[in-house]
Amino acid sequence: MLKLIQNEWMKLWSRKITWIMVILLVFVVFAGLGITKWMNSTANEDVTESWQDIAQAEIANSTIMLAEPDLSETQIDYYEGQIAIAEHRLENDIPALEYASMQQQMLDTHMMMSLVTLLAVIAAAGIVAAEFSQGTIKMLLTRPVKRWKILTSKYITVLLFAVLLSVVLLISTAVAGLLFFGIGDGALLIWNGSEVVEASFWLEALKLAALKFSSVWMISTFAFMLGTVFRSSSLAIGLSIFLMFTGIQAVFLLQNYEIVKYYLFTHTDLTQFYTGNMLIPGITMTMSVLVLIVYFLVFMAISYWTFGRRDITA
Amino acid sequence: MAEQAIVQIKNLSKTIGNKKIIKNLSLELHKGEITGFLGPNGAGKTTTIRMMVGLMRPTEGEVWIDGQSVQANFEGSIRKVGVIVENPEMYKYMSGYKNLLHFSRMHKDVSKGRIDEVVKQVGMQNRINEKVSSYSLGMRQRLGLAQALLHDPKFLILDEPTNGLDPAGIREFRIYLQKIARESGVAIFVSSHLLSEIELLCDRIAIIQNGELIDIKNVNELQQSRYYIQAEPLELVGEVLTGAGFPTALHDKGYLIDSGAEHIPGAINLLVGAGARIFTVQPYRETLEAQFLEMTGGGEIAQAHTE
Repeated sequence: MLKLIQNEWMKLWSRKITWIMVILLVFVVFAGLGITKWMNSTANEDVTESWQDIAQAEIANSTIMLAEPDLSETQIDYYEGQIAIAEHRLENDIPALEYASMQQQMLDTHMMMSLVTLLAVIAAAGIVAAEFSQGTIKMLLTRPVKRWKILTSKYITVLLFAVLLSVVLLISTAVAGLLFFGIGDGALLIWNGSEVVEASFWLEALKLAALKFSSVWMISTFAFMLGTVFRSSSLAIGLSIFLMFTGIQAVFLLQNYEIVKYYLFTHTDLTQFYTGNMLIPGITMTMSVLVLIVYFLVFMAISYWTFGRRDITA
Repeated sequence: MAEQAIVQIKNLSKTIGNKKIIKNLSLELHKGEITGFLGPNGAGKTTTIRMMVGLMRPTEGEVWIDGQSVQANFEGSIRKVGVIVENPEMYKYMSGYKNLLHFSRMHKDVSKGRIDEVVKQVGMQNRINEKVSSYSLGMRQRLGLAQALLHDPKFLILDEPTNGLDPAGIREFRIYLQKIARESGVAIFVSSHLLSEIELLCDRIAIIQNGELIDIKNVNELQQSRYYIQAEPLELVGEVLTGAGFPTALHDKGYLIDSGAEHIPGAINLLVGAGARIFTVQPYRETLEAQFLEMTGGGEIAQAHTE
């Protein structure tokens, strides 16, 4: 299996498109942070709010939110945490991280993960489909290796590539952050459920990126399945990206129906349980993970079934 | 042949939709023997070959390679097979060497030394590190052969291998295949529509039409001894030859007789004795093409199906 993955990895990096994707990612991160710096310097010139004012506002806002009816436990916990953190800051005179700092940019990296999804989808959609369009599939499948092993090696390669892209994203954000903003003042505080503690921004950024990876994982798996079933990478890329952008919107359309709880895109973004931006109330992390696993198994079953049984006529 | 066949195709059938594309095909291939697989377009050559290498699943029947079933034990059986299905499509964006490295990793026990050896065998040492996209069709065919030989197969299966090769390339290819069949005892199965090519290359020819195997012949059997005699007057010649017991047939301006060389001087004596004027006596070799057309009913296009 290791040799098969080595093969897939070699083929992946022998194509120019792969390099272009990585370079593009780094470029977008640098350009993005550069623009942020420029906007920040022009937009915040006459802001006189101190960090204490912001903390007060945070408390007020969270208190209002807590007064809302039908909040889920996750949401209640989140807003109580926000209040506790803000109070802790005021009592102990600990300012929050500056927005224009490398640390805060790292913490926001997870919002750029959709770019990783986009690039991972391109790789996932093509990895099986390209063998068909190049005609190399018949060379590949007349080797003493069972088809399911070949498909597995391809899938693992896609996941490795997605992980690599995420790492590249984090590292280039760190470098660009240092370059444009430098290390800023302030400390990161988090609510661990019972008390407020200081946390490492590295670990926190990593954790958020890892949670966001669930969405990269699901959408690439979906693209992988489409590429395997339809043998057309353009169809797989198109449909996956279309769903990636419209899938979340559909959550709002469906929010009054029971079915929304079993809908893939209600659950793809696991950071919602940490950032408080929950799509619908009443779901928990455990439930989301379970739903994602079921979708994953269905996507995989379809991919393996079609790939394993198909007559190769290309 | 007393020896156990390397490849046994047993009652192979394939139905796609309602259409039976391959009908109950059985065939054995032996060590060191080159078998040609001949048939009009759409007869089912490619489908048969794809079932032999596990790219397609037979509706019925099995293919056995060196005692193992391709359908039941894919890894064990296909390990002994080298395959070129139609044009050998390679990863164009990688070098020839990387392509071979890629395929070698999918077999057990193919060392880097073996890759170099095969590269030398097919004469590609000088360009093996260039990208495949820069290769000519002939180079790609050689690389295709190299990948098929990497793991030292006992059985080599080639679908239209000489497509796109120039005459010198075809000749080189033929000599090479005959050499590995003879020296390494590899069984070779070649499908082709180039009749003359098959005739020169193969020991045996299997003919398929509309999904059925209609004939298997040894090439030297096809070339049975026949002579063409042109003499006058024609009626007299016919009488004399039939009277002497030769099977005759009118052909052109004379007669064809089925006979070994040893009887020809006797026949000439008889004709001279009878007063016939002889113009020509020559061995007659019907081309494979003519026989093929005869067997397949004038090469009518098989009921169309997409290959």
